[in-house]
Amino acid sequence: MAAYIIWIICLPALVSAGMMLWLSRCSAHAGNRHYSLLSIIQAAVYAGIGLWLANLERPLVLSGSGYFYSDTLAVYEILVTTGVFLLAAVYARGYVASLINQEEIDASLLPVFYGSFCLLELVLILGFLSNNLALLWIFIELSTLLSAVLIVTLKARENITAALKYVFVASTAMLFSFMGIIILFGLSQGTITGGSLNWTDLMAGAAGFNQRAFNIAFILMLIGFGAKSGMAPFHTWLPQAYAKAPSAVSVVYGAVLNLGLYAILRLLALGRQTADASLVSTSLMAAGMLTLGIAAFSLLTRTNTKKVIAFSAVEQTGLTLIGMSLASPLALFWVVFNLLAQPVTKALLFFSAGIWHRQYLSNKFTAVFKPLVLQPLASAGLVTGVAAATGVPLLPVFLVKFNILTGLAQQPLLLILALFFFMVAAGGMGYYLLRCFSQAESQPAPAFNTPLSMKVPVIICLILLAILGVFLPPWLSDMIQTITLELGLAA
Amino acid sequence: MNEVMLSTEIIRILLVLILGTAVLVITQRSLSSLFSIYAIQSLLLAVLALVLFWQEGIASLLLISMLTLVSKVIVIPVFLRSVLRKISIKRDLEFRFLTPISSIMISALLIFGVYHVFFELRNDLHFGPLFLLGAVIGVSLALMGMMVIFSRRKVITKTVGYLTMENGVLLFGLFVADLPFIIEVLVLVDLGMILVLASLLAFGIDSSIEAFHERLRNFGLDVEE
Repeated sequence: MAAYIIWIICLPALVSAGMMLWLSRCSAHAGNRHYSLLSIIQAAVYAGIGLWLANLERPLVLSGSGYFYSDTLAVYEILVTTGVFLLAAVYARGYVASLINQEEIDASLLPVFYGSFCLLELVLILGFLSNNLALLWIFIELSTLLSAVLIVTLKARENITAALKYVFVASTAMLFSFMGIIILFGLSQGTITGGSLNWTDLMAGAAGFNQRAFNIAFILMLIGFGAKSGMAPFHTWLPQAYAKAPSAVSVVYGAVLNLGLYAILRLLALGRQTADASLVSTSLMAAGMLTLGIAAFSLLTRTNTKKVIAFSAVEQTGLTLIGMSLASPLALFWVVFNLLAQPVTKALLFFSAGIWHRQYLSNKFTAVFKPLVLQPLASAGLVTGVAAATGVPLLPVFLVKFNILTGLAQQPLLLILALFFFMVAAGGMGYYLLRCFSQAESQPAPAFNTPLSMKVPVIICLILLAILGVFLPPWLSDMIQTITLELGLAA
Repeated sequence: MNEVMLSTEIIRILLVLILGTAVLVITQRSLSSLFSIYAIQSLLLAVLALVLFWQEGIASLLLISMLTLVSKVIVIPVFLRSVLRKISIKRDLEFRFLTPISSIMISALLIFGVYHVFFELRNDLHFGPLFLLGAVIGVSLALMGMMVIFSRRKVITKTVGYLTMENGVLLFGLFVADLPFIIEVLVLVDLGMILVLASLLAFGIDSSIEAFHERLRNFGLDVEE
């Protein structure tokens, strides 16, 4: 049975994408409601599959070839991803309807939009379940392609430029990763019979790897997977892609970023099995600080709400990389927790920004007026989201920042630098909100009647953030501790 | 023994010729000629894989050679020419950041740098005698492809830069590790999808948004004019 689970996982997305294609070709009446319903059903089924996987024994080989398997980290990521997709699918129902009304998307492109959305979820899940590094590489590449298609479904020429930048920057960096994978395979041939790219085999054989060659392979792989997770200086695709994509898509990019960070976390675990992981830690720290610094200063001059959120995502990638570089059990616990806290925070921000965009038909702060009167829920969402992203106490990212900074205490210079960057970033985001809420009314406009499907995800994210900020459920804590144990990163 | 020496000499000549095609990709302005150079480069790569098969007798090398011949020497150039017929540009005259001369000078420095790194590593990685030359030219080819991506303005030229980069990675793979054949196939599938998407976006840049969406709806380029 276990050997066929991977086929069961593929089925919902393939069926829904196939049905969408069939509807588009055979039914003249198919519209947003039908495609949206299919995508919601699919997302709900995947959320169910995530819960089912969480209740199965682990680690579990999911295919006869051994190329797919599930361990606690994979299941954790799948739970986060499917949760985000379910909320985004619900949100898309009202959001896309509004885009059609405003003629910002051509109704005939709905099958392409929803089909890519459904397949993207499958590709991410398969990426998390890949036991094989080359397969993971291919799924990350596929996620880039599907994300790019989702960007260009909107009627705007700048979206084509954004998609091109995304494809070329991410794919070029991923080719460097592939070179690293080739070197790693060559190294594995020295310690594993016939060589292997399976995580399980590599972890077992890593102790015998030549250190210098592994370090080069690690740096090359970090370039590709880092680019995918928004690591500087390969983050240049991210702000434009986040800003130009429809908000329902920007939300799921949080899960795409997680796939890159997931790969880096696996590489870190591998690096810790080698004789000397000092270069691994140093390169992660350097990349993290650079990412944090660039994001912090970029936040100071933004004029576009979605770009502010995008640079906040880059900042969080920097924080996560710094946490990984510390490699202490405490820091890694909160790094893994951040893989949940961040997508929820970003989802809240993008859902709220999407409602603002429907209200003002622009993402620029200059277009915003009377936000608390016209869109109180979205305004509360943005304020709470920004507070969470900057690390205000009683919200979950505070715990992450506090514990990672505590880990930096033994390196005072780096601690001061990180604190300075966090303050600059917080100042930039706070100043942006201040400008949004202090704009004079340019011309009276009616309030956008926000559909329930767009409000519910905002409310759920608000509740989740409020809970996670003050209470860590024991099952979640156990799960994260198991992850650090399974990765060989616990004390 | 003579056969091994002969094949080694042939491989060396092929590697130098591949490097020559990379220089031409950096400097060429005519898109049609660019596609021809890419096809020649891929042909040299296919022949190289064939010679390696002759030398080492590993079946996957023969399959890689055949796959490269069909996909990169025939299918991809034909596809690129069909894209060229549908867009208005025929030449990519503009360079940004780097002129062709400075690109070649930087390439020379890159080759030297890559050689230095792999020379240091040659004792750590226990590969064949041609490893050093193959790995250096493979990585250099990939870096030169990357320079094309960043120094050229037109999407279609960037795409050829990406394809050159991928050829460099394949070349590197041939000399460093015998990757399972299925991985090579999957990489090629990925390359094909990136090519189709990039071509579609190139068309989008060159046409109206409505015409672009008409093509996007049909997942490609075959729509009624």
